[in-house]
Amino acid sequence: MTAKPWILDRRALLRGGGVALSLPVLQAMGRAAPGAAALPKRMVVSYFAYGAYMPGANNGVPDKVAKPHDDWSWWPCKDPGPLTFNKSSEPFADLKEHVSYLRGLDHAGGWTMGGHSSGDVFATGADMTNTEKQNNISIDQVAANKHGHLTRYASLVLGTEGGTGSYGMSKTLSHRGPGRPIPALHKPKEIFSRLFTPYEGESVEAVRARLKREASILDLLGENSRDFQARLGREDRATMDEYLESVRAIEKRVERTNQWTQKPLPKVDSTALNLAVPQTDPKEYIRCLYDMIFLAFQTDSTRFATLMLESEYSHDSATWNYATAALGYKGATHDLAHKRPIESGHWDRWRAEQHAYFLKRLRDAREGDGTMLDRTLVLWGSAHPHASHSGKNYPLQLAGGGALGFRHGKLHAFEGNKKVPLANLFVAMLNAADVPTEKFADSTGAMTELTR
Amino acid sequence: MRPSASPRICDTLRWVVAALAVAGCTSGVAAADDREASFGRVVAPFFERYCVDCHGPQRSKGGVTLHTLKGDLAAGAGPKRWDKVLDLIERGAMPPETDDQPKPAERKAVVEWIRAALRDEAGRARKPADGPPAHSDLRRLTNVEYQNTMRDLIGFELKLVDDLPKDPFKPYTFTNTAEFMRLGPEQLDAYRAAARRALASAIVDPEKPKTFKKRQEWKPAPAPIPNDQLEPNQLGVWGGSGRFSVSQGTTFTDLPKTGEFRIRFQASAIFPPGVTEMPLRLVMGEALNVNSSTRRIEPVGTVRMKAGAKPAVYELRGRLENFPFETNRNQKGKPLPDALTITPQNLYDDGTLNDENGFRKPRVREFPIAVIDWMEFEAPLPDVWPPEHHTRILFASPLRESDPDKYVREVLRRFMSRAFRRPATDDEVNRFAKIYATLKPELKTIEATLRETLALVLVSPQFLMHNGAPANPEQKRYAFASRLSYFLWASMPDEELLELAAKGELDKPEVVEKQVLRLLADPRSQDFVREFSRQWLSLDKMRTVPINRDLFPRFLYYVPLGERAGTEEPYRPTIRDHMIDETSAFVAHLIRDNKSAFNVVDSDFACLNQPLAAHYGVPGVTGGEIRPVALKPEYRLGGLLTHGSVLIGNGTGSAPHPIYRAVWLREAILGEEVPPPPADVPALVDTAGASAEKAATIKDLLARHRQQASCNACHARLDPWGIPFEQYNAIGRFQPKVPKEGTRVSPFKTAVHKDLDGYTAYVNSLNTVTVGADARVPGGPNIDGMAELKAYLLKDRKGDIARNVLRRFYGYGLGRELTWRDRFAVEDMLDGVGKNGYGMRDMIVAVCRHESFRGHTELRKNP
Repeated sequence: MTAKPWILDRRALLRGGGVALSLPVLQAMGRAAPGAAALPKRMVVSYFAYGAYMPGANNGVPDKVAKPHDDWSWWPCKDPGPLTFNKSSEPFADLKEHVSYLRGLDHAGGWTMGGHSSGDVFATGADMTNTEKQNNISIDQVAANKHGHLTRYASLVLGTEGGTGSYGMSKTLSHRGPGRPIPALHKPKEIFSRLFTPYEGESVEAVRARLKREASILDLLGENSRDFQARLGREDRATMDEYLESVRAIEKRVERTNQWTQKPLPKVDSTALNLAVPQTDPKEYIRCLYDMIFLAFQTDSTRFATLMLESEYSHDSATWNYATAALGYKGATHDLAHKRPIESGHWDRWRAEQHAYFLKRLRDAREGDGTMLDRTLVLWGSAHPHASHSGKNYPLQLAGGGALGFRHGKLHAFEGNKKVPLANLFVAMLNAADVPTEKFADSTGAMTELTR
Repeated sequence: MRPSASPRICDTLRWVVAALAVAGCTSGVAAADDREASFGRVVAPFFERYCVDCHGPQRSKGGVTLHTLKGDLAAGAGPKRWDKVLDLIERGAMPPETDDQPKPAERKAVVEWIRAALRDEAGRARKPADGPPAHSDLRRLTNVEYQNTMRDLIGFELKLVDDLPKDPFKPYTFTNTAEFMRLGPEQLDAYRAAARRALASAIVDPEKPKTFKKRQEWKPAPAPIPNDQLEPNQLGVWGGSGRFSVSQGTTFTDLPKTGEFRIRFQASAIFPPGVTEMPLRLVMGEALNVNSSTRRIEPVGTVRMKAGAKPAVYELRGRLENFPFETNRNQKGKPLPDALTITPQNLYDDGTLNDENGFRKPRVREFPIAVIDWMEFEAPLPDVWPPEHHTRILFASPLRESDPDKYVREVLRRFMSRAFRRPATDDEVNRFAKIYATLKPELKTIEATLRETLALVLVSPQFLMHNGAPANPEQKRYAFASRLSYFLWASMPDEELLELAAKGELDKPEVVEKQVLRLLADPRSQDFVREFSRQWLSLDKMRTVPINRDLFPRFLYYVPLGERAGTEEPYRPTIRDHMIDETSAFVAHLIRDNKSAFNVVDSDFACLNQPLAAHYGVPGVTGGEIRPVALKPEYRLGGLLTHGSVLIGNGTGSAPHPIYRAVWLREAILGEEVPPPPADVPALVDTAGASAEKAATIKDLLARHRQQASCNACHARLDPWGIPFEQYNAIGRFQPKVPKEGTRVSPFKTAVHKDLDGYTAYVNSLNTVTVGADARVPGGPNIDGMAELKAYLLKDRKGDIARNVLRRFYGYGLGRELTWRDRFAVEDMLDGVGKNGYGMRDMIVAVCRHESFRGHTELRKNP
């Protein structure tokens, strides 16, 4: 791995945040060969809480007859087929060729957990029904295990609240495996510095020297910890396994970071980003998190990201009741979900605006012969479908991946007797991202409706 | 084991009656064969007759079937299921009251059988066949524990928690629950970064940095000023006047960013008649004189000024690391150095600051005014260099020169022995000495190398983890010392505790009792009480409930001007803060005075300060300090049920939320577990009272709710508990009248409804009908309103209340969720504390003295 010289394109002024990026064009990043084959294939899973407004039957599937508030339904149109956009989904009208809506899909593993809790399994599809209070590996981590070594960071795990949460109240979408949630990062400043200024001003030589030292220290720390573990009772030893596993994970990361010091860090100018944006300004805050993902992709720092926008148990966070700050809504944000169509519709639309902002940034960034959106699969939705506490028929939108074989512009309906697990879509997404996958969670095959 | 069948006064608690009956025959209950036979005789027919219709082969309501249960408790769903069955039958919750009821004697016999069998089962050693234990109690420190431990270890307060991942959160569950605590690589990274930050401050370089000093003075204006304005050196409740006024504070640049600082200032106050005290607070960080809600500040400290006092000089100290500098400053593109601003705040609050829409200059002289003449800032302190926190680690010794290796080993041994809360072993010291040796060539100085080495000590499991069960008896004693201090201080044990552990003194119950009282008397116990109350009562959400300003214009302190007009004042303690303090002060008071646990339901005192008293309508309370105030019935206060913190958190900000409040009562007070709404239940068409302008009676809404079969199963047992709370509105005030159904509510008009009287008139014009606060509680009588609810709870549910409070202390102390096995330990302790009226402090002592708390390894073998 030798570093190629940088070709700086200082005119690359990004839209939206007005971020001035001193960024090399992607072909200059030292990838093996120019051309489509070598360009990255990326994946994002983004989640919102409390479900969305869906007039109609209890399962959220629209009634045949017109309802007065269909305009505010989360589903952009009633009938499967080409998309038309209503008030709620209007922010995506401009992206028609890049989005699909998938109705009637969900994870059976979350059915009995209740809508408020099934966000835990949104990206994992794990069966947490009456079983171990444990989750399983999430889609982004499956992909990261396969291709994470190609980028400086295997994956990027973000959320508006940070940390892992606990069973039934997860604050992260990403899990390494059973009982191994990955804490979400939620502070823009911290995310930025982890991504783009990890050396904290040190020279590369100094960093390498430090990493070398670090390796031997971690060795000693591991030794110390194993000794400590050996003196514990049997059941405590199992708890210590988690600690030791973490030390080993850090050891591996040190090795990896060391390899990546061979490559220069991308230079990203942060002056135009408001990294100190408070959560009480939800629009700017959420867009800032989306910006972080965008920048990480643009610099090819990682290819897989998750973003948990609010959890349903945010009582201790400034994002609880954030609709007040976002919309001036005077009641509790949770209650919006149980509210009249116009109120919850406005909220849905507000959330759609933030997500559309992200999609448009990807669409407007050129990459190879197309755009970044063409090479990025973006799944967006909630595991808490509609106003009831059901865990069935998630609101789901898939965007992007045009260059990875996905065709968009339609509403697909999967409801009915022939139950298709949402995991089938995950299988299709993983395969499109070059992660050969036959089965994910409870999948019964790969979904073909969007890739035909 | 409980002493069996000692004669005792029979009180009304059902569980005691039942326990007595069993206790009499425990020794007689014998082998499993007998049990199988007696099961067939006593229990099986009971289940057959009263239970299996709903919980049997045909139907399994709640996923429970009983027809397959056998005399062997370990079989099938296991003792956990039996524990639940026992609870429900004993409490009379099952069979449901609408069904055929067993005779009291039948019920009693079954209850006795299950209790005896469960007790035997709990005493049985775990077999390998029982499978692996669910979890151990070994856990990492919670964030609060981490923060406090670091404080006690390095000798000064550094805010480190903000950089750590948040602790898992689950309503009504303690964050120290071992089962929830995860520790992944990201967490270790964060610990390491925090440790580095702490040691960068704790270990200083040999040369003292230059002292930074600055002084600013404020003087009255040369010419007389209008009466509705303030002099530049004066500070009113809404700030001061003018760009050069003291309210703008004083800003410095080019100062050090680490080290201890000292602020001295001379101040006095002008008081209006009848007011005798005002709090003056200094905050430091970014300047507040900009219209932005994103300014970051941290309080430095508060001084209380008394009427009649001459100008006096006050002194406050702190650490610069804890205060946010204003960065990225520039003037016309030219970068400016980072700045730090001290801003004084007049925090006087009598609860009327929002009257007449808050900001009205003519009123400024109705409140006290602070006068600040000058202010001095100095950092870093002290004059002695290196500071004490440095020499605590790098102690002065000739060894440092004569035998540096030996010196470093000694430094490590001392530090590690404190960090590990027990003497460090030679192996442990050797290993970190090796780390030191690895680092030394590159980091050069002893200070730099020690910072890095000790940061690793602080990510080692011996520091980060506790509550384990070491096999070694000596370490067990130290572990017990830690368990005590993390329970009652949320921090590491002090020297006295560790010495007692070393001497084996902590094996004596009377020593433990003495230590518990000492720990509780120490100010460090405030963290325990605050954390415990906050989590037990799930108070956090009250901070973020959006209060409807149109309905409650006087409630919160709002920013009246500028681009932030109408937003909640972010830079002052608000009534929300006072309310959280009220609750934790109340619990603290119950513990300190060893008051009965039944005070959580009703008490003859409340903990109030002036703003709180104004809010609740209690006359005669002045000053900002929260203190016990005797109650009269007409105040409609007492106990926790009417605390604003509880009522607001379990409301929507516009209206009360009877379901939230019902859940709160059952979880936090009665100790029941309320299941979350299951999947696939349709939504309530309109959540109770969420929209102010479209008033509907909540009782009717809930009744509609319960008519749906899928909701009714749970809500019939839930909603009635929330109805009596309806007399208290969304901001936690007694408000027995509500708008008539279908009324359109016109908002508050500031021009008309100027002050409290005007506001009261407005509220009265709105609220014309008495709220329906009567409901028949499940298994109980018809209850109308809060007073009757409290009376009922204190008459019929005392057993549940006392048991719940004790279980909360016990679970928090153990750091895990309680299981069926803990039933008997809890009952043992309840027996003891019951003799003395269920004192709250007695409960804590009983928990700490209980064998299961000391060596709970034995218990844990059998989760």
